[in-house]
Formats: sequence, C-alpha cells, structure tokens
Amino acid sequence: MEIQSNGEEGSSIGFRGWIACRRRFKPDDSFFAAGNIERELLAKQVALDLTEDERYQLQKMEIAEAQLVFCPIAGCAARLNFLEDFEDHYHTRHTASCSVCSRVFPTSRLLNIHVSEAHDSFFQAKVSRGFPMYECLVDGCGVKLKSYKSRQQHLVDKHKFPTSFEFYKKARPSKHQRHRYQRRHASHSKEASKDTDMEIDTTKSKRASQKYRPRKLTNTKQRETEMEVEESVNDLIAAVSKLSTSDSSPSSISFGHRHARGFAFVPRSIRQANRKQVSQPEAKE
Amino acid sequence: MADDDVPQPSSQYRREAFKASAVHNTSAQRRRQLAVAVGKEKREALIRAKRLCREAFFEDNEVSLERDMDTDEEKTILDAQTSQTVDDLKSALTYHFLLAFINLIGLVYFNQNISGKGATQKKVETLRELRRLLSKSEVPPVKAALQAGVIPLLVQCLAFGSPDEQLLEAAWCLTNIAAGDPEETKSLMPALPLLVAHIGEKSLVAIAEQCAWALGNVAGEGEELRNILLAQGALLPLARLMMSDKGSTARTAAWALSNLLKGPHPKAASELIKIKGVIDAIVQHLRKEDDELVTEVAWVVVYLSALSEVAVGLLLKNDVAQLLVGKLAASESLQLLIPVLRSLGNLVAADGYMTDKILIVGYNITEQLLSGLIKCLKNEHRVLKKEAAWVLSNIAAGSIKHKELIYSSEAMPLLIHLLLNATFDIRKEVAYTLGNLCVAPSKDLEQPSIIVHHLVSLIEHGCLPGFVHLVRSVDIQSARLGLQFLELVMRGMPNGEGLKLVEEDGIDAMERFQFHENEEIRNMANGLIDKYFGEDYGLDE
Repeated sequence: MEIQSNGEEGSSIGFRGWIACRRRFKPDDSFFAAGNIERELLAKQVALDLTEDERYQLQKMEIAEAQLVFCPIAGCAARLNFLEDFEDHYHTRHTASCSVCSRVFPTSRLLNIHVSEAHDSFFQAKVSRGFPMYECLVDGCGVKLKSYKSRQQHLVDKHKFPTSFEFYKKARPSKHQRHRYQRRHASHSKEASKDTDMEIDTTKSKRASQKYRPRKLTNTKQRETEMEVEESVNDLIAAVSKLSTSDSSPSSISFGHRHARGFAFVPRSIRQANRKQVSQPEAKE
Repeated sequence: MADDDVPQPSSQYRREAFKASAVHNTSAQRRRQLAVAVGKEKREALIRAKRLCREAFFEDNEVSLERDMDTDEEKTILDAQTSQTVDDLKSALTYHFLLAFINLIGLVYFNQNISGKGATQKKVETLRELRRLLSKSEVPPVKAALQAGVIPLLVQCLAFGSPDEQLLEAAWCLTNIAAGDPEETKSLMPALPLLVAHIGEKSLVAIAEQCAWALGNVAGEGEELRNILLAQGALLPLARLMMSDKGSTARTAAWALSNLLKGPHPKAASELIKIKGVIDAIVQHLRKEDDELVTEVAWVVVYLSALSEVAVGLLLKNDVAQLLVGKLAASESLQLLIPVLRSLGNLVAADGYMTDKILIVGYNITEQLLSGLIKCLKNEHRVLKKEAAWVLSNIAAGSIKHKELIYSSEAMPLLIHLLLNATFDIRKEVAYTLGNLCVAPSKDLEQPSIIVHHLVSLIEHGCLPGFVHLVRSVDIQSARLGLQFLELVMRGMPNGEGLKLVEEDGIDAMERFQFHENEEIRNMANGLIDKYFGEDYGLDE
C-alpha cells in the first residue's frame, strides 16, 4: 500500500488509511503454494489412486508448513503457525493481571513495573527522595528515570513511542457514561465552549471519572497534579512509618478483568490524600 | 464464528476409520498398508513437480510371456512393500540383480564380436527390462540402479544414430530416475545435452516426447538445473515441440516448459514469448476441448503472465483473456480451473489494462468473468475460493463502476459468509475485496473518499466482527488491514455510529498492540484509540 501524506485535519493522526490497489504476487510466493501442491496431487492421482485418508494427511501437512510466524509481543519470540490459535497463546503467556487492581498486562515484567509504580508505597518514598525508580518499559534498555514524565519522554525520544502513549491508563468509561456524554455533547456547539468545558470538566473529572488521560494537560491541571503529588508525598512518608501488612488490602474491589472501578491506577496513598480534600462524592458506576 | 483452520475430513474418511470391514477387501487393505509403509517419502514424491512415466504412450511390442513374468514380479514387489519399509524395498530389488542387467547390456553393447540384429534386439530387450523395473512401483529402485552405474550406460545408449527403440527405452529410464529426490535428478547431468538434442525436429515424435518428459523432471527440480538447461538451449526445441498437432506431445512439452519457466528469474519467460509461433500455439491449444492439454498450456500462461510484462501485453492483444474466461465459466475440472483462474488473476494484477480496457462493465466478458469467479467462490475447494477472492479484490480496486458491479452481484452474500466462516487465508483475501468496495479510487496523495452506502450495507450484514477478528491475528498484514477497516468505519459511518460499533470489541483488539514489537502497528492502534476514544471521550459529571 502506498504511503499517504495528509495535511488534512481529519488525518492528523498520520494514519495510513485504506487505499484500494491491485496486489500482484510472484509465482514462487507462498500465496500460491496451496494451488501448486494441488496441481501435483491431481496430476499423480490417476496413477496412484489416493484415498481420502491420504488426501487429508497431505492437506494437513501442507497447512502446517504454510507459515511459521513469531508472536508479535515484544520479547516473546514464540513460534506459531496460522493453525495455532494465537488467542490461546496470548492468554496463557501474555496476560498477567494485577492482584490489586486487576489490570492486565502482556508480560510479567510490565506487571511488576506496574505493581511497583502504582501500588507500592515504598517505591513512592524512594521517588520522593530522588532515586531514579521509573524503569524504561522496553525490555533490555535498563535505563531508569526519576519521574513518570521523564520516563515518558525517554520512551518517545529513544524508543519512538507515540506521544499519546500512557502507561498509567485509566480504564475506559462505561457504556452508560459514554452515552450520557454523547447526549450531553449533542446539545453543545463544540467550537464555542470546547476549551472551557474541557478545563472545567477535567478538573472535576480528575477526581471522579475514568477516562483516558488527555494528550495535552492544561496549565491548571499540571499545577494541580504537582501540588497533589507534593502533599501526597508528605502523607506518604507519614504512612510509610506506620506501614503494616494490613495496608496491602486493596482499596477498591473490582469485578471483572479489565473494567476496574475506582482509581485503579493511581497510587492508593495519593488517592487517599485527594479524598480528604474533595468534598464531592466519588462518582459511582 | 466457526474457524475452519483445520480441514475436516469427509465423512467417508470417518467411516473408514471406524467401521469393521465386513467384506475382506484385500487390494484396498494392501493399498492402505502400502500408504502407511511408504509414508513420508511418498508424500514428498506426490508433491514434487516431477512425474513418473508409468505407461507407454507409444506402441509397446511386448511378448505375452514377458507379461506373465511381469505380474509375478509385481506381486513380489507388492508383497515386499507391504511388509517392509522403503529402504528394505529398495534392497529387495537387489543391487546384484540390477548389476547383472546392466552388465549384460554393457557386455552386449561393447562386445564387438556379437553384432547384428540379434545382438541389438537382445540389448533393447534388456534395456526394456531395466525400464520396467524403474517404472513399476511408486518408488522405483533408483538408488540401487545409480549405484550399479546406470547413468554412463544410458548415456551410451543415447548416442546419435542408435536404433529408435533403444533411444526410447533409454530416455524412459532417465525420465524415471529424474523423478526421484534431488540427488537422483542431478545425476542426469551427463545425459542432458543428448536429451536436448533428441528433441530435434528430425527425431521420431515419440522419442522427442520422452526426452521432453525427462527434461521436465529435471527442470522441476530447482533453479540451478533450470539455468543449466536454459544455457544448454532447451527452450527452443521444447517450444517447437509444443506447437505439435499431436495432443500428448504438445501436452508433455507444455508441462516441461511450465517447469522450465518457473524461475523465479524471469529470463526464461521473456525468451519464450519472443519465439515465433509460441503465442499462436497457445491460442490454438486454449481453444481445444482436450482438458489435459488446456491445463498444461494454461500453466505456461500462468508463468508467462507472472514473469513477463511483454508476455502480458501479447497475451491480452491476442485475446487470450476471452479464451480463459470462457474456460473458467464452462469447465468443472479442478485441475483445469486452477491454472485458468490464476492466469486471469495474474493478468488482472499485472496492470490496469485488463480492468480498464478489457473488463469494461457491461461487456459480455466482464459478466462471464464475474459469474466464473462466483462459481469458484462456491466451489468446495480452498484454493479456488482463495484465488477467486484475490482476483475479485483486484477488480474491486478498479473503477467505481466495477465496485458497484461486484456490490450488486451474487458475490456479496458469498463473500460475507466467507469472511465470517472460512479459513484464515480466504478471509484475508475476502477482507481486501470488501474493503476495496468501500473506498473510491484515490488520486495521488489524497485520502480516498469512502463509499458510504457500501460501508453501511456491509456493517448491516455483520462484517465488522470479521475485521475485528483479523485485527487479532498473528499476521501483521491482516492486523493492519483490520485496523484500516476500523478506521474507515469510525470515519465513514454516519451519525458517529462507527464509534459505538467499534467500542464493543474493537478497542479490546486495538489495545493489544500497545506492546507490539512492530512500531507501525503500535502507532496505528494507539493513534486510533487516541483519536476516537481519547480526549473528548467519556466525561462524567
């Protein structure tokens, strides 16, 4: 498919969209393998009188040899063929789920990183003392950064991750929420109140909702986040000194595999700090 | 969604596996045992591009006495086969046994004192015995024969001026030796120039045909041997032989040529098309009713159209497309349909000429082709379905009229069914077709516009899960295809319906790509999520 360059607003994501074009294959392309084998079988069938059994064996053999591919998850290198259910392999090898917040990760390494960063108070304590704790997500890189943001930056600069990538992801909003949003938005004119809506709403929703973090943080949001972190660190240091095993109970019980309720991905201590400040009740599902 | 990745054996197979044989069917049993015993080697022999010559196509003057001997021998061999492995089989026809034959021939040939018709006759008869030994079973005792020194002997037997029968039997032996594994085929090297020479126009047709068969086996081995044959000038005599009126001769020559053309280097194809009379011969043969001949000639067209632009042009100018379309529509023979379909596929894929100038919507040829393709989609055979979908996808990449033609045809329900139920390779081709129907032809650098009513209709008929399934596949191309279709849905469906539809299952599939090692796919998936499910999405109050 040709590379398409778009200056249009609608394709600002730089997405290589569908282009209808002719596809040609060389005669020795694996695309034609099945037909070639069939040709030889048919030619010899008259002389050899193949039984149904033999035909079946041959077909199986041909399919199995069709194409061996490697699992595409970075660092996996498992060999699969088209017969093997990729789903099965993916689920057995690549779904590690967090026991605290039930978020699912494709590798156990990432799971461990997530647990440290999101659920480990000790981790936060070391961060506040200036230790570089945020590991690069790319296996084998080994670099550690001092903050979440600087780690993000490293991923973008060094490893060409998209700027919209976020390791801390809030779960998707529920269908109900999304529909409420859509209905609400239908009555606004987008252009006029877009920015202000965003600001106000994100301020409120930062505490209450679950959604993807927006690409651009407004200034207000940034300040608040930093403030938040400062306060929470103080609380954290206090909390560490009172550390006991009972602290490790999950702050929210989540049902299901992926749609965690509550602030699943922000450290619990930070959330606790917020709750003290906010008078509004948390949004319920 | 039934995923038919493993072909289900027919019920007949199942029955055979479980029923207790009430009737004692000896020969069927023996065949089955033979299959088990020979196993892997046989399988490999079956899918090789080489063919054993089992029967004479020329007059075979056999004495009835010898025929009795034959059946006894056959029985011994069969017994041996059923009770032993392949290696044992080969030693059953012992080295010594063969050595004796070969020595006898050598003795008779070289002994100057024994001359005259009698000696020649004896020589030929012994050679014939050797040939029979090399033609009987599916896995002839080639190794033993090679060890006994058969090649130098046969090269001697091919000397110019030798009696016709001798040439014939020698060529036949070489044919079957060449039909074996790579080492065995390569052993024919000393004989190649002679074989090429004996396809000359002064040779008896039967001899030329037998030599062509031997060369076909050699060419079917691999690129290295093909290059050697081309260097030795095998192309021209074979091409001339293909112009023969005799059906079996033309067929054998065409088959040998198709093996020689395979390449992947295109030089054989470009040279062949320049030879005077070749195109005419192809056209003549494609008109005939002889299915076997048409099949082999169609394979020649397959390779010509895949490897040579000049050939494509010449073929189209000489109306070969119409002949192929006619065969596609009329024939029911799988053997014939495969190369005919593929030739058409290659011609359509080669350049726009086919879709622009020949397959004009409204012309008879276009209607015929479409119905031929639909017939292939309905056929139970995987290969026909897949390659027909491929051809359709390339037609669907044509003009708006072509897209509308396909959209309003019988093909649509078939395609949708295949997208949701067929094996992976078929689903991929069908996906290309359906997606191509939804985007208009693009001018350079512009994002093509979406044909909304096609897209809406496809979604209404339940295509979306089929594409989401592709997004989940291991194959990068298919995943990309699925993502591109999701983008079309989200961008093109009216009233923001696209988002609602994709979020059900699509986000799940897209999120999987966060840690994918392929950067492009990662960016595509993340980009889609951010654009459509990012900033302005899902606020709460």
